[in-house]
Amino acid sequence: MDFTPNEDQLALVSAIERIAAEFTAVPTDFHGFALEGEALARELENGQYFDIAAIPEMGPVSAATVVERLARLPCTTEVALSMLVRPQIDIELPRPFALVEHGRPGRFVAAAGTLIVIDGDDIGIAHPRPEDVEAVESLYAYPMGRLTGNPPVKALSGADADTVRTWLRIACAAEMAGLLQAAIDAAVEHLSVRKQFGRPLGTFQALRHRMAECAVLAGGVRLLALKAAWSGDSGEAALAALHAQDSASRVVYDVHQMMGAMGMTLEMPVHLWTYRAKALLSELGGKGAQARGVATFIFDAA
Amino acid sequence: MEFDWNQQQRDFRATVRAFLDANLPDNWEEIAHGPGSSAQTTFSKQFCGALADAGLLVPHWPERWGGRDADPWSAFILAEEMWAAGEPRGGQYMNVNWIGPTFMRFGTEQQQERYIPPMARGETLWCQGFSEPESGSDLASLRTRADKTESGYRVNGQKIWTSYAGHADTCFLLCRTAPGKGGISILLVPMETPGITVRQIPSIIGEGDIHEVFFDDVEVADTALLGAEGQAWEIVRTALSLERVGIPRFALASRMLRRAVEVLKRDGRFTHGAIDQSAKAHAACEVARMYSYNIIDQRCHGQPPGPEASAARIATVNAERQVTEFVVEHLPEALAGADHMLMAHHQRAIVAGIASGAAEIQLNLIATELLQLPREPR
Ligand SMILES: Cc1cc2nc3c(=O)[nH]c(=O)nc-3n(C[C@H](O)[C@H](O)[C@H](O)COP(=O)(O)OP(=O)(O)OC[C@H]3O[C@@H](n4cnc5c(N)ncnc54)[C@H](O)[C@@H]3O)c2cc1C
Repeated sequence: MDFTPNEDQLALVSAIERIAAEFTAVPTDFHGFALEGEALARELENGQYFDIAAIPEMGPVSAATVVERLARLPCTTEVALSMLVRPQIDIELPRPFALVEHGRPGRFVAAAGTLIVIDGDDIGIAHPRPEDVEAVESLYAYPMGRLTGNPPVKALSGADADTVRTWLRIACAAEMAGLLQAAIDAAVEHLSVRKQFGRPLGTFQALRHRMAECAVLAGGVRLLALKAAWSGDSGEAALAALHAQDSASRVVYDVHQMMGAMGMTLEMPVHLWTYRAKALLSELGGKGAQARGVATFIFDAA
Repeated sequence: MEFDWNQQQRDFRATVRAFLDANLPDNWEEIAHGPGSSAQTTFSKQFCGALADAGLLVPHWPERWGGRDADPWSAFILAEEMWAAGEPRGGQYMNVNWIGPTFMRFGTEQQQERYIPPMARGETLWCQGFSEPESGSDLASLRTRADKTESGYRVNGQKIWTSYAGHADTCFLLCRTAPGKGGISILLVPMETPGITVRQIPSIIGEGDIHEVFFDDVEVADTALLGAEGQAWEIVRTALSLERVGIPRFALASRMLRRAVEVLKRDGRFTHGAIDQSAKAHAACEVARMYSYNIIDQRCHGQPPGPEASAARIATVNAERQVTEFVVEHLPEALAGADHMLMAHHQRAIVAGIASGAAEIQLNLIATELLQLPREPR
């Protein structure tokens, strides 16, 4: 048991921090839902960061820390599936990756090089042509798209499908950990400067306690996500995704309450994280499906 | 990063489990009413002696005091296994975790020689006299007085909620020698000293746990003072940081959750609502476990205690709450005589958010120290 990053992991952390620093500011002219990070994607591509899970000294747990860190940025690009799921299938598959569940719109689908298609219990892989997908307008702060054509789907074997489902859950939890932390950070900043009744809001205990509880939840999501990424265990993956989706509802609600009306403006970018978290809430069958995963893999229930 | 045990840690856990298997009686679950009960206290004396003989009572203590300088992981693995088994050490876990180590740091040679060896042999029980009727979370307002006499101190006042006081040999007593936070001192007071009265408080949490302790003109020798007059706050802070995580409650909560799930599965009752709730409860237990391990890891790396310990406490409170709520809703008969251990767990779990510092105080600490929110006005 050792929670401390090794030297390679520390070097990775500082490299990612340097990249993140370039993308921390929200462009002042941005007043939309999905702030896309094309330049971020290019930098990650150039540095070959999408492949770090396959480097033995790094492994998927390092990739998960990167996913978590980058999810805290205001801009978004497809990172989680490429870094955590792709290496489990075939690292040569074209990115970006996206997930289509039961024909519903999904994140990054319109630009995807590889689609993971979930239909009932079946999971397959497809490579859509541009005419097979289209962008859709949405409330989620990700670029959303849907499948319009019928590209050939290559079905995965039962065992491969299980592996993919496990890593999709880990990817979801790692990304959620970053989103929740960023949302909390935004609320903390607001509570520290906004004054009412002659004092900063952050001095009112009713709000302090709620934020502290949210912080414990978000930190827990991160710990479970890293543990699952380290072990690759199906039960731990289901548990991490469950805790991520379960905590998100609470954190999203509380963070918006902290922000007052200001949190409803597009000028205050908190929705970039909270509405992304909402997109992740229903993925992979939502909490109910994750709980069934826990029952199967951890409690050995039939 | 490495989220698994090494061989040595696995072996140590196996050794502790084997010891428990060999040394807990068949009717242990009926005895395990709570660390403070008479049956458990009586059993703990013999059990801790055997633990000491096996080198498993104080492995993390220095050799000089009967240990083998084992690392904080060993101490924590030991604590997990003991608590998950229903804490057969009774109240002696306090000696092992923080009272002994505090004496090693702050005690005089005479105090060390007098008090540490009996702890290392598993022969003695202490109680912690901190809280008072008017001083709970606001501990620094305590009023029990120790007035200087020619040969020592005369103590007057009252303590409350004192665990194990009914069976304890000695009290680690906080009392006032001067006004203010800097006026609190620690006296090590033999419980048979004339003028001390102990009254058990009937409670929902099990027999023998909480007491009132009255001090009427209790004469205590000079040599009973731990550290200097007024040094209590510093010593207690250090003492508690030695422990940092406190009781690994998640270990028992997690075991009880699995036990309840097994019963439900066997009876064909492990369906929708139960599945959802048990999975969330399990997540809460694992979160508490990971937060706690993170703190042990910080300690191994020589990092000073930080606000993460409060986060671990809150995570632990969540775990206890979710597991007990799960059992009440889905296996209600367990609390009506069907399962001694589930009943005992339910009785004890409620204290997680109060004993050793209320949860709301921890939330305040998290807000200030971890989130860096501006402080509340005083
Ligand atoms: C089983 C058990 C065993 C114990 N054993 C011992 C022992 O061996 N020795 C010992 O000395 N003590 C012991 N205690 C006492 C324990 O330390 C106190 O109960 C604890 O510190 C809280 O104090 P209190 O009960 O007076 O609650 P209070 O301080 O009265 O608090 C009541 C409620 O108000 C909240 N509250 C208080 N102040 C604030 C604030 N500033 N802001 C927000 N909320 C606040 C609390 O969080 C809590 O929810 C034990 C308690 C229990 C339950």
